[in-house]
Amino acid sequence: MTTDHQQLIVGIGAGARELATEDMILNIGPQHPSTHGVLRLRITLDGERIQTAEPIVGYMHRGAEKLFEVRDFRQIIVLANRHDWLSAFANELGVVLAVERMLGMEVPERAVWARTLLAELNRVLNHLMFLGSYPIEMGAITPIFYAFREREEIQRVMEEISGGRMHYMFNRVGGLKEDLPAGWLGRTRHAVSDVRSRMGDIRNLIAGNEIFHARTRGVGVLSREQILQYGVSGPIARAAGVDFDLRRDEPYLAYGELTVPVVTRKEGDCLARFECLLDQVYVSLDLADACLDRLERLPQGPINQRLPKILKVPEGHTYAWTENPLGINGYYLVSRGEKTPWRLKLRSASYNNIQVLAEILPGNLVADMIAILGSMFFVVGDIDK
Amino acid sequence: MDAVALPGSGLAKGLAVTLRTMTRRSITRQYPDVQPDLPPRSRGVIALFEENCTVCMLCARECPDWCIYIDSHKETLPAEGTARARAHNVLDRFAIDFSLCMYCGICIEVCPFDALFWSPEFEYAEYDINELTHEKDRLREWMWTVPPPPADDPAAELPKEAR
Repeated sequence: MTTDHQQLIVGIGAGARELATEDMILNIGPQHPSTHGVLRLRITLDGERIQTAEPIVGYMHRGAEKLFEVRDFRQIIVLANRHDWLSAFANELGVVLAVERMLGMEVPERAVWARTLLAELNRVLNHLMFLGSYPIEMGAITPIFYAFREREEIQRVMEEISGGRMHYMFNRVGGLKEDLPAGWLGRTRHAVSDVRSRMGDIRNLIAGNEIFHARTRGVGVLSREQILQYGVSGPIARAAGVDFDLRRDEPYLAYGELTVPVVTRKEGDCLARFECLLDQVYVSLDLADACLDRLERLPQGPINQRLPKILKVPEGHTYAWTENPLGINGYYLVSRGEKTPWRLKLRSASYNNIQVLAEILPGNLVADMIAILGSMFFVVGDIDK
Repeated sequence: MDAVALPGSGLAKGLAVTLRTMTRRSITRQYPDVQPDLPPRSRGVIALFEENCTVCMLCARECPDWCIYIDSHKETLPAEGTARARAHNVLDRFAIDFSLCMYCGICIEVCPFDALFWSPEFEYAEYDINELTHEKDRLREWMWTVPPPPADDPAAELPKEAR
């Protein structure tokens, strides 16, 4: 630990040799409230200090990649939006982008901007969830109510356009499922400005709170080397100064026409990760506004492409990656010219992000483990797929 | 922790947020007493308009988890005059197992004869999982709760019929 809290051994009583400590193996999970699901951590403890930590994953493995191989591309969207249930829209996006690239398909402009808008709203929803749940783990109950109040605002416009609250199922190869309902742009603009005006509540309550700072500052510091070795991505990597965001560095959708400010921090500790997430919400809300401006000005046009009854993707392979709310999602699509993919490899952000726990947990106390685990912002479904 | 921060200022700040929220209107939804106002596209339950179904089986085939069960038989209608007798399918059973359904809406999208619709109704929880398989009578009852689709954005392309 790099904090000023240093453990000081003031004296050892007589007979300390007989009192030699023994390491204890502690299983955190797979059923434990602090693991947000079924992540299991096998931890070796010396007293309260963690010696080694090993994340054991796979309790929620649903074989998504294998199932993809026997599903057509519309059915794959159903499965793909479920592995990370907090960023369903962003997950659908990677699949359709890969398929469209293989088909050489041009997506109508309105669909591109609407997708960008929905992807950013989805990012806000995802981040708000963690901005609410992380303080709970630190003992602050209130922020989750504020976070969910804001989530509801955006959830409502997402439900109005897609019909779903979680698994939107709104992307299709070549565009979106249906057009925007009349007046939806105005209601979305309203929701975005409402959320922006009230984000200060969460910031005032938590980001400046000294108890929160005491629990998170200097705890669980990730280094640049560890990030590069483990392939950590997303807000967690940017909190340690790794300035990499696909929306800016390899633009997809309409991001190339937008200026995407990339939020970074230097410290790489739990607090920096939380602050990154908080600032990213503001960035996403601004991007959503920019998309709304553009959508209002776009001329009349289609929102999707007419597809053949049986959609076959030509032989070949491609790798599409997107900046998901939690990090980089990659989709390696291999097709042999059939209506199902021969292989669709999924690179999910949480899987890589969680592996680095084995590096950063040792040396910390059990209480700090909760703080570190919560600040890694993962979804267990995204780890196990 | 700024060096100049007064002790307890974080607490005061937190209480200020609480106080400000106290003066605002509550956003609590009185759900069982007041029904939620769901948008027409809400995916609550699938309704069947039996008359439109031709037993083409597309929905059952395209369903990602095969939760639609269809049984049918063929009937031949004697034709008037010199016309050839026509055979047509008669639907015996149409059931959707909502304990398996993933609410993706592919069945509704593929139905070429507009026999399936989304309804925003959602209050059909059961004590027994078998009760979640809605047979065609029950699916038909949902039909009367299907709302008209919302109007499209002015920038949307006109439907084929209006072009």
